[in-house]
Amino acid sequence: MAPVAQTRVSGRRRRSPLPYTWQRGYLLASPALLVMLAILIYPLGYSFIMSFFRWDLSGSAPFIGTGNYTDELFGRQFNQALRNQAIFSVVSITIEVVAGMAIAVLVNGKLRGMRLARTLLLVPPMIAPAVVGLNFRWLFNTQYGLVDALLRMFNLPDIPWLTHPAWALVSVIVADVWQNTPLMVLLFLAGLQSLPQEPLEAATVDGATPWQRFWHIVLPLMRPVIMIALMLRIIDTFRTFDVVWLMTQGGPGGATNLLTVYSYLLAFQAVDFGHAAAVSYIALGMSLFVLGLLYGVPWLIAKRRAI
Amino acid sequence: MSGTLSRRKFLAASAAVTAGSLAAPWVARADAKEITALLITGGPLYPKYWEKIVQDFTAKTGIKVRYDLLEFTPLTAKVVTLSAARSSQYDVYSTHTAQIDSYFNHFAPLNSYFSDSELADFYPVAVKYLRDPKTGNLAAIPRNMDARVQYYRSDIYQEKGLKPAETWEELVDVGLKLTGNGHYGLVVPGQGDPAQRTFSDLLWQAGGDWVDQANKPAFNSEAGIKALTFYRDLIQKHKIVPPDAVGYQWNENSTEFSSGTVYATFDWPGAFATLSNPETSRVVGKWSTAPYVRDKAAISCAISHAMALNGQSGRKEPAVEFIKYTVSKDAQRLQFDQFTNFPSSHSLAKEVIAAAKGPQATWLQQLETTIANGKEWPKLAGFSKVCTLMFSAIEQALSDQASPADSLNQAATEAEDIMRRAGAYD
Repeated sequence: MAPVAQTRVSGRRRRSPLPYTWQRGYLLASPALLVMLAILIYPLGYSFIMSFFRWDLSGSAPFIGTGNYTDELFGRQFNQALRNQAIFSVVSITIEVVAGMAIAVLVNGKLRGMRLARTLLLVPPMIAPAVVGLNFRWLFNTQYGLVDALLRMFNLPDIPWLTHPAWALVSVIVADVWQNTPLMVLLFLAGLQSLPQEPLEAATVDGATPWQRFWHIVLPLMRPVIMIALMLRIIDTFRTFDVVWLMTQGGPGGATNLLTVYSYLLAFQAVDFGHAAAVSYIALGMSLFVLGLLYGVPWLIAKRRAI
Repeated sequence: MSGTLSRRKFLAASAAVTAGSLAAPWVARADAKEITALLITGGPLYPKYWEKIVQDFTAKTGIKVRYDLLEFTPLTAKVVTLSAARSSQYDVYSTHTAQIDSYFNHFAPLNSYFSDSELADFYPVAVKYLRDPKTGNLAAIPRNMDARVQYYRSDIYQEKGLKPAETWEELVDVGLKLTGNGHYGLVVPGQGDPAQRTFSDLLWQAGGDWVDQANKPAFNSEAGIKALTFYRDLIQKHKIVPPDAVGYQWNENSTEFSSGTVYATFDWPGAFATLSNPETSRVVGKWSTAPYVRDKAAISCAISHAMALNGQSGRKEPAVEFIKYTVSKDAQRLQFDQFTNFPSSHSLAKEVIAAAKGPQATWLQQLETTIANGKEWPKLAGFSKVCTLMFSAIEQALSDQASPADSLNQAATEAEDIMRRAGAYD
C-alpha cells in the first residue's frame, strides 16, 4: 500500500503550481492570515461598503450610491475640515522637515553637548499624543497657561490660543511640530551619518562654502531619506486625531476640525456611519493622491529626461 | 506521546480556539440566570454603588449580572458601536436622554414591561423625551434626573451686598460687579454638547423653541438670535466669563467655580456633593444655590440618566427585571444618599425633599421646580446630526467667527435638509 500512497502524493505534487514546501508554509500561516483578514481586510472592506449606504442606526440602511460622497464633497463642514487639513498638513510638514534638517545638521557637528541633545530628541516622539494634547491644552490656556504668563511678564498682550479660530489652528500645529520634528531630526541624522565623505571632502578642497556643500551635495544625496520622511509625515498628518481632539475637539466652531476629527464626530456624535465612512475614504484617497504626486512627478520627470 | 507540536495538532488547536471563540456568545446566552450590562460610572463611589445594586439584585432574584463600567463619553461611543454592529454582548445599557433618538430602533420598547401607574410615578418630562415620537415606544426608563440650578459664592455676594441674579439683566449686572483681579462673575461652557445645552436653556427662556409646529427648525427665530447674542456677549462683550470658556465643557466649568476663580455658575446635581467635599472643592461652606435665571420664561433643560434593554438581547425577561430594580425606589434612594442624584420617581423625590433640611432642602426644591418646568430638545429623526451642526454654529458665534444670526440661519437651512433626509417629515 505504501508505494501507492507515495505515487498519489507525487501525482498531486506534479499537478500543483506550488512546491510542497510552499504549500506547507501557506498552510501553517493560514490561521494567522485568516486572523489578519478578519481584523484588517474585513473592516476595511465593510466600511467601504458602508460608505454607499445611509447607515445611521435608523433601522433600514438603503443603498444611496455615491450620495454620502457628494453630500460631503459639497458640504460646508467637510470643506472647512478639508481646508484645515490642507493648512495643517502643508504647514506642519514644511516646518518639521526644514527644522528637522537644520537641527540634524547642527547635531551632526562635533559640538559640545550634542550627545545629550541627541538623547533628548528621543523624548517628544516617545510621549503619547494624548499626553502631548493635554499638556499643550494647559500651556496654551489664557488664564493659567505658561505661554500667556510669559507674554504677560514681557508686557505683551494675551493671545487667545485655543479660543480664536486662527490661533487655535496655530496651536495644534505647534503641538504637532513639537512632537514630530525630533523624529525628522533622527531620520535625517541617520541619513547624514551614512553619506559618503569623498564628495564632501573634494568640495572642501575645491573651496566650496559650507552652504554650497549643503545645497549642492548633501541635499541631493539626502533626497531618498527626505522622500521617506515626507511619506511618513503625509500619512501621519492625515491620521492626526488625539492631539487635536484633546486640545480643541475640532473647535472653536470647526476651526481645527481635521478630516479624522470630523469623521469621528459624524460617527459617534451624529451617529451617521455612512457619511463618516465616506469622509474616511476621501481622506485615504487624498493621502494616496498626494503620495502618488510625491513619487510620480519625479519619476515622470526622470523618464522624460531619459527619453 | 511526542512533545513536539505536529502540523496536525497545530491546525486542530487553531480550529478548536476559533470554534470556541465563535461559540462563546451562544454558550453564554444559554444561561438565562445570568445577564450582562454596560453601566455608567464616574468618580470613586460609582463602582461601589453598582456592586451593591448588583449584589442586592442577585440576592433577591438569583439572577447574576456581569457588568462593565464606563464613563459617559466612552460609554456613549461604545453603545453606538455595539448598536451599529447589532451586538448582543450586553443585555442592558446605561443611556441618557441626550442621544436617545439614535437608538429608537436598537433598544427594545419597554412599554409592555411597565404599567401606566408605574410610569405615572416618573417625572413626565423624563418619560416624554425617552419615547419615540413616531411610535410612542419607550426606549429607556429614567434612573435619575439631571437639571441645573445656580451655584454662587454666598460669602463674596454677602461681602459686596449682592443677591444672586434672577434675570438675564441681573446676571450681567452682578457679573460686572464681581469681575476683576483674576476673578470672573460667571462661567458658562462654550464647547460641544454643553454649549448646546446652554444655548437651549437661553432659547427657551427667550420664548423660542428648536422646532415649530411642523417640526421645521425654528431656533433661528428672533428669540434664538437674542439668546445666542446674549450668550456670546457674556464672553465677548461684557467679559464676565473667562475668555477660555469658548473651549470649556462641564468639567472645566465646574472646576472654575470649585477652585474659587469664578463666583457663579449653573451646574448639575452632582456639583452639590463635589462642592461640599474638601477633597474636590476649595469653596466648601462658601457657596449657596439659587434658581436658574429667567428671561421671558423660566425654563431650562430637564433630562435623565436612564436604563435601556438591548433589542438584540436573548434574555429580555431577566434583563428587564434588572432594569426595574435599578429604577426601584430603593436603588434611587441609595443613589441620592451616595451622590445626591435627584430621583426620577416623583413620589420618592417628594419624600426626599420633605426629609431634607437647611441648604439641601432649598436646593432640592429649586431642582424640583426646574424639573417641573423643564424641557428637552426634540427627538426627531436626524436630530443627533443636527446637534453636531449646532455645536459648530454656536461655537462660531461665541468665538466671533460669525454673527449669531448668520450662524443660526445657516444651521437652520442645513438642519432642515438633514432632518428631511433622515425621514423626520415622512
